[in-house]
Amino acid sequence: MIHPTKHSDSRTEPEINRQFPSPNRPASKLWPILGMTMAACFGLMLGGFGWALKDVWHPAQGLAIPEAATRAKEAGGNWEAKEEIKVVALGDSLTRGMGDETGEGYVLNAIAKLKEAFGKKARLVNNLAINGLTAARLNKQLANNGYASFLGQADLIFLTIGGNDLFRIARNGGSFEQGADVSPEQLRAKLPEAEELLREAFGKLRDLNPTARIVYIGLFNPFYDVPEARAFSDSIAEWNAYAHRLTAEDGNATIVPTYDLFESHIARYLSSDHFHPNEKGYARIADRIVQALQ
Amino acid sequence: MTNLLALVQNETLKVWKKKRFAVIVLVLLVLIPIFVYAQMKVAQNNAAKFADWRSELQQRITDNMNSLSSNRIPEEWKKWRRSLVQQLQYYLDHDVNPDSPNAVTFTSSFVDRSVSLFIPLMVLAVASDLVSSERTAGTIKMLLTRPVRRWRVLASKLIALTLYVSLIIPTTAGLCYLISGLAFGYEGWGAPVFVGFGMNKTTIDTTSVHAISQGAYLLMEMGLAWFSAIVVAFIALLMSVLLQSTAASLVTMMAAVISGTILSNMASSWHSAKYLFNVNLNLTSYLQGTPPPIEGMSLGFSLIVLAVWGIGAVAVAFAVFTKRDVLN
Repeated sequence: MIHPTKHSDSRTEPEINRQFPSPNRPASKLWPILGMTMAACFGLMLGGFGWALKDVWHPAQGLAIPEAATRAKEAGGNWEAKEEIKVVALGDSLTRGMGDETGEGYVLNAIAKLKEAFGKKARLVNNLAINGLTAARLNKQLANNGYASFLGQADLIFLTIGGNDLFRIARNGGSFEQGADVSPEQLRAKLPEAEELLREAFGKLRDLNPTARIVYIGLFNPFYDVPEARAFSDSIAEWNAYAHRLTAEDGNATIVPTYDLFESHIARYLSSDHFHPNEKGYARIADRIVQALQ
Repeated sequence: MTNLLALVQNETLKVWKKKRFAVIVLVLLVLIPIFVYAQMKVAQNNAAKFADWRSELQQRITDNMNSLSSNRIPEEWKKWRRSLVQQLQYYLDHDVNPDSPNAVTFTSSFVDRSVSLFIPLMVLAVASDLVSSERTAGTIKMLLTRPVRRWRVLASKLIALTLYVSLIIPTTAGLCYLISGLAFGYEGWGAPVFVGFGMNKTTIDTTSVHAISQGAYLLMEMGLAWFSAIVVAFIALLMSVLLQSTAASLVTMMAAVISGTILSNMASSWHSAKYLFNVNLNLTSYLQGTPPPIEGMSLGFSLIVLAVWGIGAVAVAFAVFTKRDVLN
C-alpha cells in the first residue's frame, strides 16, 4: 500500500510534465492562456447563476415593453378587386377538418378552388378553429385581442358554428353518437339560446372586420339515416333559416347550405365517427363555397 | 497554496493534452450546423405558410388548444400545454415575438434543450476518466508515490474539472452563436423575453412576469446550466473514483443521465422520483416558468437536491480516495 505522505516544497515542479516530458515550452505558454480563460469563464458562469437566482426570487423591474399597438387593418374594400385574397377560418371541428384523413378539410380545399376559379392568389392567414367550440366560447374568443388582429386582415371569413351547441347536450358532454339521448324536442328547446349566440357572433365579427365577406357554412343533419333522428332536420332547417336571416341583414355575408349534401348517400360522405364529413364530404362543401362566391 | 495551484495546472494540462476538450469542440462543430440547418428549414417552411410571426404564433396556440380538447392526452401534458398556450398568448397580447429567428434566440433555445442531456454528456467526456484512467494506465501509483497528500491530488482534479465545466458551457454557447449567426444574423441581444410565469391550478399567474433582454436571459440560462453540469461532473468524479474502469464509470453516468430525461417525461405520478438528481437537472425551465415534471418541484427544491447530491458525491469521493488501498 502506498501511504499518502506529508510534503512541502518545490519538488512538485517536475511532476507537472510527468506524463509529457518533452515539450516544456509550449506548456508554459498554454497554461496562462487556458488558466485565465477558464477563470474568466468560471466568474461569468457564477455571475449568470447568481443573476438567475436573483431574478427568480427577487425580480427586478424588468424591461419596459411598449403597449401593443393596435395594428392597422389592412383589409377594406371589395375583396374581389384584391390581388390576393386573405382567408381566415373560424369555428369548430368542421373548419378544423376533423374526419378528413388528408387533413385538408373544406378550408384548404376551398382556397385551392378559389385560386382556380378567380385566377388569383389566395392564402389562409389562419385557421383559428377549435374542436368542440360552441357559439358561447366563440364569442369569448372573439373578445380576445389576438383574434381581432387576424380577423381584421381578412378579406374572406369562413365560419362554422352551432353544431356543438345543438348536438352536444350537457349530459357528460356526450354527443348523440356517444349515446346521449338527444330528442328532437330537446334540440328544438336549444334553438332560441343558440340563435341568440349566433347573432352575437355575427355582430362581433362585423365589429372586428367591417368589410370582409363572411361565409357561414350551414348545418346538416349527420343522423339523417337514423329514422328516429330524421326529425332533427326540422330544427336544423330552422337554424339555417335563422342564419340566413342574419346574413341577409348583414348584407355582405353568405350562408352556404350543406344539409342537402348529406341526405341521399350520407354514409358516402361522412367519416367513420358518423358525425364529421370525410374527404369527399369536405370537397363538396368546398365546391359549394366557391359557387356561392362566384 | 502554490503547491495546489501547480497541481491544478498539471491536471488541467493533462486533460488538455488528452484532447478531451478538442473532442468536445469537434462534436459541437459537427452537431450545431446540423441543428442550424434543421431550424432554417423550419423557418423557411413557416415563412411559406404564414404571413407573419403573429399568425404563426396564433396557429401554434390554436393547435395546442385543439390537442387540449382531446381526451387521450394525459392530464400532466394538458397542464403543460395549457401553460404553454397561456404563455404564448401573453407574448401575442404584448406583441412580442417569442422566437424571432436570430442567433441569440437559437443559442438560448439550444442551451435550454441541452441542459438535461447534451451538456452532461460533454461534461462526462472530461469527468469520467479523471481518476479511473490513472488506474487503467497505471499512473496512479506514480501519482500517489509523489510526496503530495492524497486529498490534494483529488482536490486538484476537482478544481480542474470545475474549470473545464466552466469552459465547456460558454464554448457551447459561443460556437452556437457564431455558427447560427451565419444563417439567422447576429442581432437580437436586446429583444425582450418574458420570465416569471407562475402556475395556479389551471391558469397561469402573471403577477410576477417581467421582461428581460435576450442577452441577460441567455447568461442566466448558462449559469443555471453550469450549476447542473457541475453536479453531474462531481457525481461522475465519484464514479470515476469508485469504479476501476473508465468505460464502467462512463456507462453508469450516461445511464443515470439518460434515465433522468426519460423519468421526467413519465414519472409525474411517482412523487419520490423528485429526489433523484437526474430529474432535477433541467433548471432552466424554472426561469420561464414551465410547470416542473413532478408536482412540488421548484427552483429552490431542485437546487437543494442537486447541491446535496454534489456535496455528498465529493465527500464520498474524498473519503474513498484517501483511504483506499492501491493494489495492482
